[in-house]
Amino acid sequence: MGFGDYPAEYNPKVHGPYDPARYYGAADAPFGQVKLNEIGSWIARRNKTPSAFTGALSRAFWRWQHKYVQPKRAGIAPFLHVVFGSMALFYIMNYGKISHHRNYKYH
Amino acid sequence: MMLSRISFLSGQAPRTLATSCIRATSTSSANSQVSQTTENPGSSLRPVRQEPGKVRMGFIPEEWFQFFYKKTGVTGPYTFAFTLSTYLVSKEIYVLEHEYYTGLSLMIMWIYGIKKFGPKVAAALDKEVDAYEASWNEGRKEQTNTLGEQISNEEKAQWSMEGQTMLVQAKRENVALQLEANYRERLITAYGEVKKRLDYQVEKQNIERRIAQKNLVDWVVSRVRSSITPDQEKQNINKCISDLALLAKA
Repeated sequence: MGFGDYPAEYNPKVHGPYDPARYYGAADAPFGQVKLNEIGSWIARRNKTPSAFTGALSRAFWRWQHKYVQPKRAGIAPFLHVVFGSMALFYIMNYGKISHHRNYKYH
Repeated sequence: MMLSRISFLSGQAPRTLATSCIRATSTSSANSQVSQTTENPGSSLRPVRQEPGKVRMGFIPEEWFQFFYKKTGVTGPYTFAFTLSTYLVSKEIYVLEHEYYTGLSLMIMWIYGIKKFGPKVAAALDKEVDAYEASWNEGRKEQTNTLGEQISNEEKAQWSMEGQTMLVQAKRENVALQLEANYRERLITAYGEVKKRLDYQVEKQNIERRIAQKNLVDWVVSRVRSSITPDQEKQNINKCISDLALLAKA
């Protein structure tokens, strides 16, 4: 799989038009249904290459797009997602500086 | 799910948000819709455009609230948010510096703006969306209408063709009727002519017979007259006179 190609598992004859939000590999158990003692093996089964991480982020982004941005009558929710998401991100990024503004010595 | 619950309990907000975020988006109906349609081959594999995801307070996914319901009931998410924020604020993990109050005032303005102008903007944009969609569908609708019109015209033409066959049949019947009438007319003419000739013959025979009879009578009378001599005449007169005398005497 080269740069910019479709995933290796994607077959247009079987899957139809390409959906960037969909994982075309064999589905494992969802993370929410994994038992605590199975977490090690579940994580060991994961593909941890940089391209797999990028793919996961890309799919998450497209799921968000399909759910909140692309619908015909999308509301203000996606804009507020970006606003609050960037608020959280910049709060974390600046946390080292912000934590100097604490007012109390003891908590 | 279990791991994310642990992270909730441990109170690490960023990680919690991250895991919940993945969960919430993974429960979106995009994949389920596609998996539903994969049973049918062909064009139905095309992903369907979704309805917008449900949110509360303008941006928080409904799924995050649903996540609490099984364990805590409907007030659970609000209780969690309130207790977590009091914890974060009281421990000053979340620091209430000047940007916090800026954000608070901005948020009040945003809420007011969204509540005040949101419905109008939404109505205007919906109108535009509808107009855009209508403009896309216009060509297709027009073509459908044109094709429907052509089909109805074709059906009408077929119907009138059926009428044409009926018309031809009616014309044939008309011609047959005319032929019949003509035949009968000729028949009556022939009958009349024959009758006329026969009548003529009858009349002729009658006349001939009458003439022959008249001639015969004339001939007989003339012969009888010519056979009467003057003596016979005289005798006859005498006889008559004697008869008269006899009659006068009686």
